[in-house]
Amino acid sequence: MRDSCPVRAHDIWFAYRGEDWVLKGVSLEVPRGTFMAIMGPSGAGKSTLLRLLAGLLRPQRGSVQVLGHAAHNGRLPRPRARVGYIPQQLGLVRNVSALENVLMGALGRVRGLAPYLGLFPREEVARAMSLLEDLGIGHKARDKAFQLSGGERQRVAIARALMQQPEIVLADEFVSDLDLPRASEVLSTMRELGQAQGVTFVVNMHELPLVHDYADLVTVLRDGEVTFRGPARAVTWAELQEAPA
Amino acid sequence: MRWELVGKRDLLLWLAAAVLLSLALQRLGFFDAERLGRGAANVLTFARDAVPPDMGVLPLAGRALWETVQMAFAGTLLGFLLALPLGFMGTRVLSPLPLVLLSRLIVAATRTVPALLWAVLFVIVVGLGPLAGTLGLALYTVGYLGKLYSELFEGTDPEVVEALRGVGASRLHLARFVIWPESANAAISQLLFMLEYNVRASSILGFAGAGGIGFYVNIYLQTLEYTRLATLMLLILALTLAMDALSAWVRSRYLLAGR
Repeated sequence: MRDSCPVRAHDIWFAYRGEDWVLKGVSLEVPRGTFMAIMGPSGAGKSTLLRLLAGLLRPQRGSVQVLGHAAHNGRLPRPRARVGYIPQQLGLVRNVSALENVLMGALGRVRGLAPYLGLFPREEVARAMSLLEDLGIGHKARDKAFQLSGGERQRVAIARALMQQPEIVLADEFVSDLDLPRASEVLSTMRELGQAQGVTFVVNMHELPLVHDYADLVTVLRDGEVTFRGPARAVTWAELQEAPA
Repeated sequence: MRWELVGKRDLLLWLAAAVLLSLALQRLGFFDAERLGRGAANVLTFARDAVPPDMGVLPLAGRALWETVQMAFAGTLLGFLLALPLGFMGTRVLSPLPLVLLSRLIVAATRTVPALLWAVLFVIVVGLGPLAGTLGLALYTVGYLGKLYSELFEGTDPEVVEALRGVGASRLHLARFVIWPESANAAISQLLFMLEYNVRASSILGFAGAGGIGFYVNIYLQTLEYTRLATLMLLILALTLAMDALSAWVRSRYLLAGR
């Protein structure tokens, strides 16, 4: 039976060195199919939390469970391919085309030597093209990533994450460089495409209006501790400014 | 006007370097005016004896030069094909530590031996001729490109690597889809530099009997046929300039545009 909460973190503590805790006893549960925004000031530990959920870091204390698997030894076991991760700088390969970047999302399921020669199954190429078109950049599919604008790159990163056919997408402040209308457009498309696939989103965000429009739930972090959790509509600037309890 | 010394440490370092250089030059005979004067006269004699260059030697020299180019080209490409996997093997994000250390050991060992000495060793192994020179250049190339490539690959943006690991990519996937495309421009630029270097290096491998134009340079030097030697030197100069121009064109046309 599928877990009703595909992302669970229980009492996680994390420090990059010594006892300098970046996260102090953070717990989190994200119900399936919801969009959770992680908010908080710079240095609150949002990116660290996301990297822990992505299995890229190992908590010193506590546990992280993603898709029912415990994060043993700091690494999520496969099916990692079912977890899309969009880092802050997007993590695109600059010298290859938008289409190839998106096709990399299929590497977890396309076996054999063919991809090394640049050969992908036709249906995967069609799917990648369709995602790029849905995101409004089908005409840029053959352009190299370094030739794209900031907004176009963000769309490529979303397409790559969705190409994984993920159950979860973790995204780290990936719309923070865009103006509000454009960020809203990107989030709207991502949410729409994600909902069709039943994807659960955990996204680090700064912009309260966007959170109100697109998120279902919010967790606010401050100095490594959770200071608010609840429905997105309930969060106000006051919660974001408040000192930790 | 009053002056104040600000970079005292830098000044001391420069002074120390100047003293060491002077001592070394003095020991090597650079301050021996009589000897230098004799050398200058010899240069004039050589220049007079080498002019005009003997163009009758052109057909022979042209064939030897072509052999030199082939040696440099084949040696560089063979070296590249060996250096590339060694470079990946020596990259920590792709390989376990024992493989990284093994790769670095192999690369360091090949780099220790100069191209000319490799050529001598291969003359012993496979006999006189361009095959020995080509193999010598290939191993020399492995030593340099293997080191440059592993350092280059290590410099790949870790966030891109993380993002691809997140999709379930294997280490081979990372090498093919992240590290190579991210490093290809710099890697090809280094390959072109190596080719330029090997063209120059292959010109002297003939001294060791390893083929190419160096074989005739050595003969004409020993038989004091300076007019013929001058023709060969002009050809080598032209080849070097042509290689520099070709690689500059390739860089500007294909590599700089891809940044």
